[in-house]
Amino acid sequence: MDIFLTRLFAGMTAGSIYAMIALTLVIVFRSSATINFAQGEFALFTTYVSWWLTERGWNIWVTLIPAVVIGFVLCAAAERFLVRPVRRRDEAAVLIVGLALFTGLNGLSGTIWGSDDKVYPRLVPVSVDSFLEIAGARLFYDSLFVMGALVVVVGGLTLLMSRTNLGLQMRAVATNQESAGLCGIKVGRVFMISWGLAGAIGAVAAAILVPILPPGQLGLPGMFHMLIFGTVAAILGGLDSIKGAVVGGLSLGVGLAMINGYGSGLGGSISLTVALVVVVAVLGLRPSGLFGSKRLERV
Amino acid sequence: MTAPLLQATGLSAGYGQAMVLRDVDIEVAPGQVAVVLGANGAGKTTLMRALAGLLPFSGELLVDGRAVRNSRPDKMVGHGVSLVPQGRGTMSALSVVDNLRAGAVSRRDKAVVEEDIERWFTTFPRLAERHAQPAGTLSGGEQQMLAIARALMSRPRLLLCDEISLGLAPRIVQELFETIAQINVEMGTALLLVEQNAALAMKIASYVYLLEVGEVVESGAARDFEQSESIRRVYLGY
Repeated sequence: MDIFLTRLFAGMTAGSIYAMIALTLVIVFRSSATINFAQGEFALFTTYVSWWLTERGWNIWVTLIPAVVIGFVLCAAAERFLVRPVRRRDEAAVLIVGLALFTGLNGLSGTIWGSDDKVYPRLVPVSVDSFLEIAGARLFYDSLFVMGALVVVVGGLTLLMSRTNLGLQMRAVATNQESAGLCGIKVGRVFMISWGLAGAIGAVAAAILVPILPPGQLGLPGMFHMLIFGTVAAILGGLDSIKGAVVGGLSLGVGLAMINGYGSGLGGSISLTVALVVVVAVLGLRPSGLFGSKRLERV
Repeated sequence: MTAPLLQATGLSAGYGQAMVLRDVDIEVAPGQVAVVLGANGAGKTTLMRALAGLLPFSGELLVDGRAVRNSRPDKMVGHGVSLVPQGRGTMSALSVVDNLRAGAVSRRDKAVVEEDIERWFTTFPRLAERHAQPAGTLSGGEQQMLAIARALMSRPRLLLCDEISLGLAPRIVQELFETIAQINVEMGTALLLVEQNAALAMKIASYVYLLEVGEVVESGAARDFEQSESIRRVYLGY
């Protein structure tokens, strides 16, 4: 029982992070029907900024403020000045812009900060006894913190979507862009804010995940795996569903923890194989995912 | 004569290489009801989409005497021009009341918005009954009511209606026309209708444009068209 719980907690911790990354992809997809493959690299860049500031004596928590602001501005600017002009000419070319941003941002981070791994501090320090004991299994405080962060992000998003005028506009654009425009909604502005919001959430997710998920340090290839699992979680949940991103992320995290834990003979790269199987299965059996709306033909 | 609310001169529009609308002149005075009649493919919907800012156009478009160029739908709403699109264009995943709220995003007087919602619920009691339901679950007639109410939520001075009779039962069409005629009288909202149902549209319109293969072939006061052969010709081609 305790070993099962330990794996469950580990899975929920990783799953909460996958869910946050999936959320960033979902927010972008809901507005502009594109998957932003550079989402992880935006987050990598902001995490480098955060690390650089801690090296200059800033408190790690304080560095989150510029990281979130830069994440918002960079993503919003990318939508406005790179994605939108290209989209007008060719919808498919938007994917190429995403790939260009992916390599460009990674290269930029490497040029500024170098390719050697950095030690990025934890937001919640851990010691040997900072855990709750539940039925013999240890639930570390930093795991609780990660799950709590997901709850806060999802709660905030839900309030934004259901209670604010901006949220109403975002939902309108997600349902029908043309009708949203006819309502007087500035659709382009909603795109830009959605991208910015995704960039801001990505900055928080990355700052949380870098020290606690392998390899535990800040390095240039660090976000690639995360983006893959985040994408799988988003596809599993349904690319345009916030609820789906959360359920998809948590199920993927727990599922992988169980497979890795109980199937130790399957080898170290089983996670990626499972992720691929999940994507193929979802696209084959239920293309709109668990909670996605049915009309996803425009993918 | 009052200055036109909307005036299009030499308006041309189309899709890519295909020019659907050629050199069209149209004018709507404040509070006027005008109707554009024409057969399938005459360019009626293209005209409405160009006027609503959904399609790029060439030529001159004036609203209140001021030129509108390279327009976007949200800007046209800001100018007081609102479209009920063909196929209704309700936001199916949003509730009825959210559709109406979305229709008012351009307004600053948020307090009055809720009063307006109540007003349209009084006009269309069936929407009030279904206010929390997703718009996609409504019947065709209810969706058309919602589309009209949604377009009115921005308090437009000109309401463009693209074939609101399409696919609906005659009794509902009759009701909808009575409602928009009443809105025109009570609120002074000008109407520009595009219709295949000529007989019904002629009852409330004071001015008529006949559109044939993308061009206005004839126009004039509605009463002059009542006995006209032109309408039959435009529809039937002889």
